[in-house]
Amino acid sequence: MNPNDSTENFAKNISMQEPIKLPGSINITGWILLIIGVLAIAISFFVDRERSSFNLLIMLMFLLSIGLGSLFLVALEYVAGAVWSTPVRRVSEFLSSSLIFLPVVAIILIFNMHDLYHWTHSEYVQSDKILSQKTPYLNYVFFIIRVAFFIGIWLLFYFLIIKNSRKQDKTGEQVLTKRNTNLSAAFIPIFALTITFASVDWMMSLEPHWYSTIFGVYYFSGTVLAALASATLIIVLLRQKGYFPVKLLQDHLYSLGALMFAFINFWAYIAFSQYMLIWYANIPEETSWMLQRWTGSWKFVSIGLIIVHFIVPYFALLSQPAKMNPKRLIIMSIWILFAHIYDLYWIIMPTYSRDGAVFGWMELVFPVALVGLIIVLFSYKLRNNNLVPIGDPKLERGINFRL
Amino acid sequence: MSFDYSKEIPIIEGGPKLADIDDVIARPLDTRPDRKFYIALSITLTMLAIGAVSLGLTFYYGIGMWGNNQPNGWAFDITNFVFWIGIGHAGTLISAILFLLRQKWRNGISRFAEGMTIFAVMTAGIFPLIHVGRPWLAAYLFPYPNEHGIWINFISPLIWDVFAVSTYFTVSLIFWYVGLIPDLATLRDRTAGKIKKILYSIFSLGWRHSNRHWHHYEMVYLVLAGFATPLVLSVHTIVSFDFAVSVLPGWHTTIFPPYFVAGAVFSGFAMVQNVLIFVRKIFNFEHIITINTLERMNKVIILTGSMVGYAYAMEFFTAWYSGNPAEQFVFINRAFGPYAWAYWTMVSCNVIFPQLFWFRKIRRTIPYMLIIGILVNVGMWFERFVIIVTSLSRDYLPSSWRMFYPTLTDLGILTGSFGLFFTLLLLFIKTLPVVSISEVKSVLEGAQPSHLHNGSEEVISHSSNDSGVNHA
Repeated sequence: MNPNDSTENFAKNISMQEPIKLPGSINITGWILLIIGVLAIAISFFVDRERSSFNLLIMLMFLLSIGLGSLFLVALEYVAGAVWSTPVRRVSEFLSSSLIFLPVVAIILIFNMHDLYHWTHSEYVQSDKILSQKTPYLNYVFFIIRVAFFIGIWLLFYFLIIKNSRKQDKTGEQVLTKRNTNLSAAFIPIFALTITFASVDWMMSLEPHWYSTIFGVYYFSGTVLAALASATLIIVLLRQKGYFPVKLLQDHLYSLGALMFAFINFWAYIAFSQYMLIWYANIPEETSWMLQRWTGSWKFVSIGLIIVHFIVPYFALLSQPAKMNPKRLIIMSIWILFAHIYDLYWIIMPTYSRDGAVFGWMELVFPVALVGLIIVLFSYKLRNNNLVPIGDPKLERGINFRL
Repeated sequence: MSFDYSKEIPIIEGGPKLADIDDVIARPLDTRPDRKFYIALSITLTMLAIGAVSLGLTFYYGIGMWGNNQPNGWAFDITNFVFWIGIGHAGTLISAILFLLRQKWRNGISRFAEGMTIFAVMTAGIFPLIHVGRPWLAAYLFPYPNEHGIWINFISPLIWDVFAVSTYFTVSLIFWYVGLIPDLATLRDRTAGKIKKILYSIFSLGWRHSNRHWHHYEMVYLVLAGFATPLVLSVHTIVSFDFAVSVLPGWHTTIFPPYFVAGAVFSGFAMVQNVLIFVRKIFNFEHIITINTLERMNKVIILTGSMVGYAYAMEFFTAWYSGNPAEQFVFINRAFGPYAWAYWTMVSCNVIFPQLFWFRKIRRTIPYMLIIGILVNVGMWFERFVIIVTSLSRDYLPSSWRMFYPTLTDLGILTGSFGLFFTLLLLFIKTLPVVSISEVKSVLEGAQPSHLHNGSEEVISHSSNDSGVNHA
C-alpha cells in the first residue's frame, strides 16, 4: 500500500474484499445457548421468583456494562481523537447494540421490584425514619421514570452515533466524524451521570440505608473493563481465525491489553479506596454493607473477589509481551468477563442471601442466556455491516498505527 | 471549521531543522539574563522575603501568629500544602502517564512540567513541617530506633504522607535528571564557557549519544515512568486520606481519593498552561509549544474540571441521600453558611468557568485560556480551604463553633510560597533547557521513531506485508 494513496482508494481496496461470513455453527450455538437460557430462566422464575429476580438484576447490570460500556468506548475514540482503535471500533459498535435489549430485562425487573428492594415495602419504610426521608428519591414512580429516561437517552445516543458511523461507510464524509465527535462529547458527561444514578438505583438501593459517594465510579470501572474485555475477546478471536479484513498488528493488541491492564488497576484503586475508607472510619452506617459481605461464606467470596478481579489479571497482564500475546489476551478477556459477573454477584446477591453465599443452577443459566444473546446479536450485526469502518478518514492511519 | 482527520497534526510546527532546535532551546542558556528577567526575579524574591519574614515571626513567636484556633486546627497551612502538592501532579502526569499512553504532544512540555513538579513539591514540603509547630523535631517523622524509644504512629495517614511525598519527590527528581542527561550532553558539546563545560560534562555522565546509551536510556525511562505513575496517584490519594479516614462530615467520603487526584491534575495543568504561555512567548518556542498543544492541555483541564464537578455533585447528592443530619448540615452550611462566598468562588472557578473550554475558540485563544487557568488555580486553592475550614469551624458541637480568619502572617506565608516556587522556576529557566531537546527532535516530522516487529512468528508475516513496509 502506497502511503500516498487517498482515503477513497484505500476504502475501495477493503470493501472489495469478500463479506465476512462466520461459520454457521457459531450462530447456531448462539441460538441454542439463548433458547436454552431463556427457557431455563422462565423455569427458574417459577421455581424461585425472588432468587431469579436477583439473578436477573445481575444479568441486567452485565448487559448494561457491555452495551453502555461499548458505546462509551466508541465515544471515547471520537472524543480523544484516537487512531489505533479505528480499525476495531466496529466490534464495540456491534456490542453496544445490546442496549436494545435493556428495556426488556428492565421491564421484567420492574414487575419484580417488590422482591428486590426493601424500600418498596411501604409499611417498612413508614416505620423507618431514615428511609421515610428518602422517599422523594426512592419511590416506585420516580424510579421507573429514571429507568425509562436513562434507557431512552442511551438508546438515543446509540442510534445517533451508530447511524453516522454506518453512513460514513457509504459516503466517507469527514463531516460525519466531526458530527460524531460532537455527539460523543455531549454523550460522555451524560453517560457519567446516568451510569452513576443507574448504579445507585439498581444496586446501591438494594441496601437502602447504605451510601457511598464512590459507588458510581466503582461500577463504571467494572463497566469499562467488561466492555474492553468483550471487545478484545472478539477482536483477537476474529484476527486469529483470519476474519479481520485488515491486518491487525501486535501494536493494536498491545493497546487493548494495556488498556485492560490499566482498568484492572483502576478498578482495584477504586475498590480499595471504598473499602479502606469505610474500614478506617468505622462508622456503623457504612460498615454494615462491608460486614454483610464478611458474614458466613460471603467472607470467602470477598477474598475471592480480590484474587479473581485483581491479583490474577494483574500478574497475567503485567509484562509487556503478555499484553500483546493473543492467547493470553483471549484467556484474560474471558477471565475478566467472569470477574465482572463475580463482582456483580458480590454486590447484589448478599441482599438475597444474608447468611452466606448461594450458588446453584439458577446462577448459571442467566449468564448462559446472556452469552447466547451476545453471540446471536454479534453474528447478526456482522452479516449486515462492515466489520471495518471503511469510510472513516482515520482508518488508514489506524491500520498503519505503530507504538 | 474544516478538519482533515486522515492526516496527523504535526506536533512541532514549521518543520525546523535539528540544529535549529538546539539553537532555539539553548538560547536562554547562552545569553545573559536581560532586564525583564531581573525585574521578574526581584518580584519573586520580594515575595519570598515576605514569606521568610512571616516564617521567622512564626518560629520566634510560635504558630499563635496564625489564625488557627479551636476548632480550626488546620487552616492555611494544610490548604497550602494540599494546593502545592496538587500543582506538582500535572508534571508527573505529563511526563510519565502521557508517556506511557504514548501521547507525543507531551514532548514539548514535559521537561518544564517535571521541573514544576519538583519545585511545587519542595514548596509543599515546607507546610507540614511548620504545621507541626516544632520543625526542628521533624526527624522523628522517620521511623528509626532512637534513644527515646519514640515511634511514629504507623496507621496514621499523616505519616503515610511523609513516605509518599518523599518517595514521590525522589522519583520525580531522578526521572527529571535522567531525562536531562542527553540534553546536558548536547549542551556540553556546544558550549564555549569553561566552567559550563565542566559542569555539563560532570552531569551528563559521559553521555555520547551512542546507540547503546540510547537503548539503556529508553529502558530506564520507561521503567521510571512505570514507577512514577502509581506514585502520582498514591500521593494525592494519601493526601485525601488525611481527611477521609476521619469521621468528620465533609471530610469522610469514599469518593475523596479519585476526586483529589483529578483536582490535583486539574490545578497542575492550569498552572503549567499559565506559565508555558509566557515561556513560549518570551523564548520564541511558539512552534514547539504550539496552540494545538495548549488546546490539548485545555481539554485535559475541562475533563478533570468536570470530574471535580461530578465529585461535588455526588457529595451533595449523597449527603442528602444518606439521611444523616450531620452530613446534610455540612453541605448546606458550605453552600449557605458563613463561608458561602468561598464555596461559590470554588464552584464557579472550578466547575463553571472551565466549561467555557467547550468552545474551540476559547480553547485556542491565549488571553481567554490564561484567565481561565488563573481562575482554576484560585478555585482549587479555595476548594482545599472550603473542605478544611467549613468542616472544622462548625463541627458536631455547636458550642465550640468558631470562625477562622487568616492573619497577616498566614497571608505572608502564602505569598512566600508563590515567591519560592516562581523564584525556583526563574532560576530553572536560565540554567537548564526548559524544553527537552532530544524529545522534541524525536517528534519532528520525519523523525517518528518506529520499530520493526520481531520475535514471534506471526509478526514476521505481518511486517512483510504491505502495511509494514513503510516503516521498515
